[in-house]
Amino acid sequence: MNERARLSGISLLPIASSVMAIVMAFVIGGIFLEANGKDALHAYRILFERGLINGDGLTETFKKMAPMLIVSAGLLIALRASVWNIGIDGQFMVGALLAGVAGAHLSGSVPNPLMWSIAAIAGIAGGLLWAVVPALLMVKFKLNEIITTLLMNYVAVYVTAWLAKGPFKDPDRVAPQTPKIPLEDRLPFIPGTEVHIGLIVGLISVVVVAILFRSTVYGFCLDVVGRNRRAAIHAGFPVGRLAGSALLLSGAFAGLAGANDVLGIQGLFKANWNPGYGFTAFALVYLARLNSLLIIPFAFFFSFLLVGGDSMPRRADVPTYFVEMLEGLMLICFAVAVYLERRWHVISERLRGRPDDRVEPETSSGVESLEGLEASS
Amino acid sequence: MTDGMPTTQPAPEARPIVAMRDIDKRFGPVQANDRVDLTLYPGEIHAVLGENGAGKTTLMNILSGMYQPDSGSIALDGTPVTIGSPSEALALGIGTVYQHFTLVPNLSVIENVMLGTKTGFVLNLSRGEQQLNELLAGFELNTDPTTEVRHLSIGQRQRVEIIKVLFRGTRVLLLDEPTSVLTPSEVDGLFRILHRLREEGVSVVIITHKLEEALDVSDRVTILRGGKNVGELGPAEIVAAGRAGARQQIVETMFGGMPAAVETFQQHVATGETLLELQRVSAMGDRGEMAIRDLSLQLRAGEIYGIAGVDGNGQKELGEIIAGQRKTTSGQLIFDGQDFTNKGVATLSRAGVGYITDDRMGEGVVPGMSVAQNAALKTINRAPFSKGFFLNRKAIEENANALIEQFSVKTPSADTRITLLSGGNIQKLMLARELAMNPRVIVCNKPTYGLDLKTAQFVVKTLREEADSGKAVLLISSELDEILEISDRIGVIYNGEIVETFDRTQIDVETIGRLMLSGRAAAQESAA
Repeated sequence: MNERARLSGISLLPIASSVMAIVMAFVIGGIFLEANGKDALHAYRILFERGLINGDGLTETFKKMAPMLIVSAGLLIALRASVWNIGIDGQFMVGALLAGVAGAHLSGSVPNPLMWSIAAIAGIAGGLLWAVVPALLMVKFKLNEIITTLLMNYVAVYVTAWLAKGPFKDPDRVAPQTPKIPLEDRLPFIPGTEVHIGLIVGLISVVVVAILFRSTVYGFCLDVVGRNRRAAIHAGFPVGRLAGSALLLSGAFAGLAGANDVLGIQGLFKANWNPGYGFTAFALVYLARLNSLLIIPFAFFFSFLLVGGDSMPRRADVPTYFVEMLEGLMLICFAVAVYLERRWHVISERLRGRPDDRVEPETSSGVESLEGLEASS
Repeated sequence: MTDGMPTTQPAPEARPIVAMRDIDKRFGPVQANDRVDLTLYPGEIHAVLGENGAGKTTLMNILSGMYQPDSGSIALDGTPVTIGSPSEALALGIGTVYQHFTLVPNLSVIENVMLGTKTGFVLNLSRGEQQLNELLAGFELNTDPTTEVRHLSIGQRQRVEIIKVLFRGTRVLLLDEPTSVLTPSEVDGLFRILHRLREEGVSVVIITHKLEEALDVSDRVTILRGGKNVGELGPAEIVAAGRAGARQQIVETMFGGMPAAVETFQQHVATGETLLELQRVSAMGDRGEMAIRDLSLQLRAGEIYGIAGVDGNGQKELGEIIAGQRKTTSGQLIFDGQDFTNKGVATLSRAGVGYITDDRMGEGVVPGMSVAQNAALKTINRAPFSKGFFLNRKAIEENANALIEQFSVKTPSADTRITLLSGGNIQKLMLARELAMNPRVIVCNKPTYGLDLKTAQFVVKTLREEADSGKAVLLISSELDEILEISDRIGVIYNGEIVETFDRTQIDVETIGRLMLSGRAAAQESAA
């Protein structure tokens, strides 16, 4: 593709659709607010002020970004291979619990960097472990991973709650939670800020995944599996193992995100603690059009939404749930935008004339699953 | 024919129920129907025969409202009609049963039949039940109408499909390859039902390439070839010629005048050692049927072995077995003296077996990826495309540019999305990709399907050159012309078996045609 074509409207369209979807979601959300007698502009001003402009807000936004980046990087691996890992939340919780237990157990007895590393590995192992059962069921018995990963979330909620109330409970506390990692043993701040270094871990995660898909055989093979599974079989790829490994990796990243939150902010795992990044990550990764590096700006955007949204009940009398509604609206608007974009491609193709006569009808409509949702990356 | 005519004429000849005249239909450069006529009489079973690509299905799709003809007319009961959609066809009394059934498996028989009938929003099942019960009994379907369709056998489901269209007042019943999914006893059952429908005055059309079945069941046969009418046999002519005579006439019409062996290419009498061998291999198809039965064949270095046959007789499965893409249930695959049975695509491909699939968009290429990525797809984990874990993007691009140049693939660049290329150029790229791996055995399924003449000739010429350079080529094609043109040996596949093998010197087109249409049964009968 030459430079001019790259700069022409059509190749910018993918991001344009995402941005349009976000704008439309704000407009529709605003109408909802007005219809309920709220001042939409005021509410949005609070949202932006608290999430972006206000100094504490910005710090909070950057803190939130860390798990968002890590979880989304993992989810991207799965989705690029057309594996729907709905079990992010469960994998996150198991990872957080194990990291909390390992961290609290080791803190004080080993140097902190070693403790963080071991706790992070425990978190990764926990998330991965929680993805093993769905991955095996998917590869061996062709069970739909959407169902199994989703159901594993419920199992995770109760298993982690039981562990936090029983075997791993902090004996010195009444509350059902794991022992606390002392404040001084938590992850350090990035110099000059109050944001812990988890943000850097998050950015590295995204870059690693970007390199994975850009430059490695493994990433290439996952892309083929995701775009045309039958072509992958035809080319002799071990399709089952590839898809299974994508699910495991995705779980590992979710577990790492759990470890990151425990080591950086929480210091412990409380029974039933579930920040619910999974759904947000889905919205995020789709709006980033399965493009790895685009995850970074969108993660920033969603973090600011969550942080700003937290201030909305007090400052604008709008419930926090409104932000979730906005996320949902974005996805719906995004789906509409993608549809319009496809129509646009068809129309513009007709106007410009096709590059060659096509005999078979199959050639012109051989578009399926993720095709069209993706920007070329 | 006027209404005032005396009724002394034999009833079926009286007045056509459907008259299609001068039907033209073109798809891109392909003239699928070229001034085709088809006349259907009430109370008659009419077989439309022809090879793949003869235009049968196009003609039926025009009658069933799926396609609009480019020109020509359709008259129903003498009145000109336009059939804009399948639902309009149904309203006019023309019902179609497709090869792939349209029943909902977890709804009951009665629900499936009633579905879509104009009963308002709420499905009123009791209203149709009486009528349906009568139909069911008449169709040898002694099942409870509340049985879910998924519990029925394929043959029973097909009857439900037929009942479904009859229930909507169908007078013209189109059946597309109705026997392809049936067991022999189910075929007999279907034919009894078709005879019954004929008694009731329904006009039945079956599209088929199975000659024996057409002769078994039909009163009239229309033969298409290359999109044109080439012959029609009415009831009187069939009776007069007798079964063997009619068969002879039809085979001649379908295959007659075809050159026995086109001398475009040099003959290759001397062939090398056996490179690949299938020993009594059996395998299942996607629907769980036995697609390949006890099939044996040997591929020798330096030859093109053509597999002739009507589509759906196991060709696709045969290609996939050799490529390692389909598991066998018994038998052995020997390549270069070693056992490669069920070793998988990756192993066979590395060992030197290449496979060019007929399903270009479905499995041949990855739609969202570039020409360069698709060109490297099968060898991405080998040098020079990757070093260990990492891709060599430069090598991938250079490889694509070389292949584009060498095979004159028309594409703006190696970076272009593969979906923007025409079918012919995608085919060239797939051929280039396979040959670049330097395989010793090349299996290709319908390599020229849908291509323009020039590209098709290029593909055929390339395959011939590959064989001449000492490789073994298995050419699977439904175009008999193509197989005759370049093969050194020809095997005829019928029902998952190679029924006969011919050397180039002893090719007899009509025998091949008969074997393609009827299998061994016809060979034995004509020998007797």
